[in-house]
Amino acid sequence: MAELTQNEKRLLASLAQEQKADASRLATMLDTSPEAVVQWAHLAEEKGLVSLERIVNKAFVYTDEGKQYVQNGLPETQILAAIGQGSTLSDLQKHAAFKIGFGQLRKKGLISVSNGTVIKAEGASTADDEAALKNPKTGGQRVKDLIRRGILQETESAVYSVGITAAGRELVNRGLDLREEIGALTRDQILSGAWKDATLRRYDITKLPKRVYPGKTHPYQRLIEEMRQVLLEMGFTEIYGEIVQSSFWNFDALFQPQDHPAREMQDTFYLKERLPLPDGWERVRDMHERGGDTSSTGWGGTWNVEKAEHCVLRTHTTALSIQHLAAHPTPPVKAFCISRVYRREAIDPTHTPEFEQLEGIVMDKGVSFRDLLGYLREFYMRMGFEDIRFRPGYFPYTEPSVEPEIYVDGLGWVEMGGAGIFREEVTAPWGITHPVLAWGLGVSRVAMLKMGLKDLRLLYRSDIEWIRESPVCREQRPSKGGRT
Amino acid sequence: MAVIGLPYKYLERLTGTDKDTIIARLPMIGSEVERLEADHADVAFFPNRPDMFSVEGAARALRGFLGIETGLPEYTVKPSGMSFTIDRKLTGIRPYLGSAVIRNVKLDAESILSVMGLQEALHWAVGRGRSKVAIGIHDLDTIKPPFHYIASPKTRKFVPLDFNRELTMDEILAQHPKGRDYAKIVQGFPLYPLIVDADDHVCSFPPIINGERTRVTTSTRNILLDTTGTDQRAVQVAVNIICTAMAEAGSTIESVEINGKQTPTLAPEERTVSVRECCDLIGVDLSAAEMAALLEQMRFGAQPDGNDKVRVKVPCYRADIMHDWDLFEDVAIAYGYDKFAVGISPTFAIGRSHVVYTTAAQVRAILAGLGYLEMMPFTLTSERVLFDSMRRERSPRALSVTHPISEEHTVVRTDILPLLLEMLQVNKHRELPQRLFATGDIIESMKTTQRLAAVSMHPAADFSEAYACADAVLHELSIQYSVKESADKALIDGRRADIVVAGKKAGVFGEVHPAVLNAFELEHPVAAFELDLTAVPGYPVPGDIPLLHGR
Repeated sequence: MAELTQNEKRLLASLAQEQKADASRLATMLDTSPEAVVQWAHLAEEKGLVSLERIVNKAFVYTDEGKQYVQNGLPETQILAAIGQGSTLSDLQKHAAFKIGFGQLRKKGLISVSNGTVIKAEGASTADDEAALKNPKTGGQRVKDLIRRGILQETESAVYSVGITAAGRELVNRGLDLREEIGALTRDQILSGAWKDATLRRYDITKLPKRVYPGKTHPYQRLIEEMRQVLLEMGFTEIYGEIVQSSFWNFDALFQPQDHPAREMQDTFYLKERLPLPDGWERVRDMHERGGDTSSTGWGGTWNVEKAEHCVLRTHTTALSIQHLAAHPTPPVKAFCISRVYRREAIDPTHTPEFEQLEGIVMDKGVSFRDLLGYLREFYMRMGFEDIRFRPGYFPYTEPSVEPEIYVDGLGWVEMGGAGIFREEVTAPWGITHPVLAWGLGVSRVAMLKMGLKDLRLLYRSDIEWIRESPVCREQRPSKGGRT
Repeated sequence: MAVIGLPYKYLERLTGTDKDTIIARLPMIGSEVERLEADHADVAFFPNRPDMFSVEGAARALRGFLGIETGLPEYTVKPSGMSFTIDRKLTGIRPYLGSAVIRNVKLDAESILSVMGLQEALHWAVGRGRSKVAIGIHDLDTIKPPFHYIASPKTRKFVPLDFNRELTMDEILAQHPKGRDYAKIVQGFPLYPLIVDADDHVCSFPPIINGERTRVTTSTRNILLDTTGTDQRAVQVAVNIICTAMAEAGSTIESVEINGKQTPTLAPEERTVSVRECCDLIGVDLSAAEMAALLEQMRFGAQPDGNDKVRVKVPCYRADIMHDWDLFEDVAIAYGYDKFAVGISPTFAIGRSHVVYTTAAQVRAILAGLGYLEMMPFTLTSERVLFDSMRRERSPRALSVTHPISEEHTVVRTDILPLLLEMLQVNKHRELPQRLFATGDIIESMKTTQRLAAVSMHPAADFSEAYACADAVLHELSIQYSVKESADKALIDGRRADIVVAGKKAGVFGEVHPAVLNAFELEHPVAAFELDLTAVPGYPVPGDIPLLHGR
């Protein structure tokens, strides 16, 4: 049984004397309001200690109009009294109660009018109506009529009768601790020591609290932070750059031929603005046209400067990686970037025109394709993907290229981004003489897998209910990977 | 990716092994098995390997990869005695031509499908949708050499494939389905490319459509191949890929004389590569003989030349071999991506986060502490949302994309606040109060910088809440600021303030104007705040971007 409050105990103590009493009487005894008594009685009733009975009393009250009539008689009584022998209609009309009184008399058939003279019916009397007015409790049609006429009003009032049950009496017989109970602890009680003489009321801990929604970061951002954390732990430097890039850095510097389909208007957001080419652009041109000083044949044809100047919203973060390498051509370089990229795609559950891409690069003396596979395995392992395999892939700016795949229960092998070693055609123009391992992946794809999302749009047009309900911590995983 | 249908029976016959063995190893040669059907597999191959876009080509590569037949496939070419002339007027239009005669063709349902599939895939991957290269295949027995590739007046008439009446070339562009698809490649030239035979019969209107006269059927025994285009190398690659695939299917190839030269030769190119360089790149120790054997498995001719060299013969269909590293990738594929003992280089570097992202993380922590939920809206938006709904003037500093994909995504945001109001609109049926923030990139005058915006919507949201939030954030970011009356029409006059940092406006806060609330269909007051994060002490501020003008 839930604990009794101080007030319930006091109520029971009073009832032990009275057995059964009205709430108002108990209120006087307990120096409180009848409403409070009812509230305590409800609590005690739930515990089976008291019985609570609601007694409804009907009563009639007079309206202001009704009060007048009680004093002066109903209008019909007044008019009836005023009718003498040979009373004319015009005489009676002077009477204040004429309008209502005359109408009522006519309706009740107590009078008739003949040639302007008003004649009482035989034995005409309003005594029964007057009786109904004086004693409405008798009820009947006449009382109903008085109510309808707005002379009387019927009111209901409830009184509560509280009685003690056998269980309640038994509890009282066992003795009640009637010391003062404390609800909210006050500063005074704490400082004065009053709390020592008081009982701290026990609360019902089975009641649910009001939901509080803490402020927090977006679930998708938390995944991005997890990836940043992994890469920072692996010793990578974070890079950042402009969204607007020239086609030169976005495509040409990555040895994408100028007629490559990915460069077409239908796949890329082009801008009307143009940017000047950086120093050294001629080496990129030579690489495209005939392979520069490397063993490459180049793409042949003529490389067009103006095409390279056209600006785009970056289509991949590789545009930033190559600029970072061009600025830091000496080893070692370990860098990463997680940023938004733009593709001209219509919005549907699995495509958005902008999304986050992660890219990592490692440039050092003696690094090889084998090391690239090692970095990939390490990264995915730390992200919680333990089954990983490698398949040949194709990307215009890497050779060899590889597509890592992870095994997901229920889905099988799922492609997870792409990787490779930057082609010499990409690195040679900037004096980079050591291999550059590079890998990238669409972060939103990982989000779909990790959060079980079916619709990418939820990431960018989020239902706040989803954010409120997404726990910050899903499951702690022991850190996997590494050499320890 | 080009998806090629590989019928099991034909594939097994050409490869010489069972389909299960083939399917199990297909991903490891560089492909994705898209679907397994009852009688065939749909397999996607990479665009750099158009030589695998036919059952014959895929089987040739698989025979090597599976060790059934390795080394260079040799193709013999006899002169056909036929010739082709090229009209000089084609120079600015579509100047390059390749051709070959293919004899003893035995086309059955499967091989005809394979050839058609190859032609389509080549049009896409090598031909760039026929603009760079287009391929025509003709029944040689319906026409007479010599053939002529000419620039023709547009009024020339002939019966195009699938039609039963003559059309002018312009009518073909307007009426024939293929004409409508590819008209943009030739429209605008004064003359159109045309291939005719000795008797002036039309073979083809490249890159649009063949003539009905030369239609290839299952009874066709001899074929004339034409490829035309704007890039000589690509045109030749297409010829080589088709001829070698047909040779794999049992046909014999004959050359045609073009400009005094016999073509094709189907001869390999030679490259000598370093074993050391290859081993360093892929991270596997190989001897010259081992490396040569792996290359042979990928259907190259390969001979060790001393300890560090391998002489490689590259088959004529391998257009993707542009650089020595392209061969090294094939060594790695033959070695097996699944067999690498992976490891990590001991490259030592200290991780370092970028100040833009560390600041963003701090901003998120502050706003979360204030009870705000993060949103991550798009950066692409419209001028309607960005300016009109906000009662703000359209800004010439906003960046427009030239070919937007929808009316909702025409410009890059210059502010985040409007996007947050949109998020409130999306969530207006959710429980109040709603306190949202977003931080991230904006672009003004081409420059990417970062902003923060926060909104609070509930019946008691007011100026003092906006001020309190702004003040707390600015304090936590160590930004010294003052406020002054703002003129921002998105906020209520008398209840709006600019944040001034070092004499410059760095943000604004206040109560959102009811007309703006109406525009976003919001039903409760909104307290709002936005801040330019370049006001954070020590934050990187990008310099002006030097644009090119004129031309």
